[in-house]
Amino acid sequence: MSSVKKTVLLGLLISQALVLSIIESWIQIPVPVPGVKLGLANIITVVVIVYFGFREALTVVVVRCVLTSFFGGGGWMFFFFSAAGGILSTMIMSILYKTGRNKFSLTGISIAGAITHNIGQLLVAVFFMRDLAVAVYLPVLLVSGCIMGFFVGFVSNLLVNALKKTKMY
Amino acid sequence: MLKKGDFFIILIVIIMIAVSFVGVSIYKGWEDDGHKMALIIQDNKEIKRIDLDAVDESWEFTVRGDYSNTILVERGRIRFKEADCPDKVCVDTGWLYKTGDMAVCLPNRIMIKIEGKPEDVDIVTY
Repeated sequence: MSSVKKTVLLGLLISQALVLSIIESWIQIPVPVPGVKLGLANIITVVVIVYFGFREALTVVVVRCVLTSFFGGGGWMFFFFSAAGGILSTMIMSILYKTGRNKFSLTGISIAGAITHNIGQLLVAVFFMRDLAVAVYLPVLLVSGCIMGFFVGFVSNLLVNALKKTKMY
Repeated sequence: MLKKGDFFIILIVIIMIAVSFVGVSIYKGWEDDGHKMALIIQDNKEIKRIDLDAVDESWEFTVRGDYSNTILVERGRIRFKEADCPDKVCVDTGWLYKTGDMAVCLPNRIMIKIEGKPEDVDIVTY
């Protein structure tokens, strides 16, 4: 793939991830636990891992986090939370995809990614609050990560297959 | 659509969920004690300590930081009443009334938690 094409496609994917993050921030989830969210932007991360690789996925995730904390008005605290979760989950998902794409489906990989994302966020929360008591949110975060990881994996699978037909990548 | 390895991931996740649920319920049970103290912690420093069982009239106060939070205190319970942070997770948490209950405002780095008797303060980890 030429570098111009790659730049254009990654730019498109970043903007799509940004839009998904912003839409997601409009959706209220009736769970009063910090960090529980839909994780729609993860769909893009999975697609980038499949079609490009770890380094590109990491770039997309970090740029998306910078842009969302800028557009979403969350400030630097939100950047640290989303970036910590995003980087950790991208690492895990890339490793799982690279080493075992025959053993793991995108759904399984996405569940693992969602859960490591939430664990990463929680670690940052523990660090900022200097209090392990924040860890009582862990069970809820694991369950929500499991559910959302499943849906994100399901959608990513559809998207990856649809993109294969376009022969764009 | 699921492959063999997925069941391995799901198994690990189920074990993690089970262990964390047990861990949290042990932690909450540990703190279970009749006398309720509410601790308000901002930037890792305890800024207020309220004996919830000794509250006669409800009152509220505001804590400022990057954002501001209004905290409402009543006999035996406490909550974030208002906040101007973007996510309002702290307000959605609602009333805290059991020992081990906790509400966090991460943007403002404020935490309310309820602990048992005053002698148990050494449970607080700094």
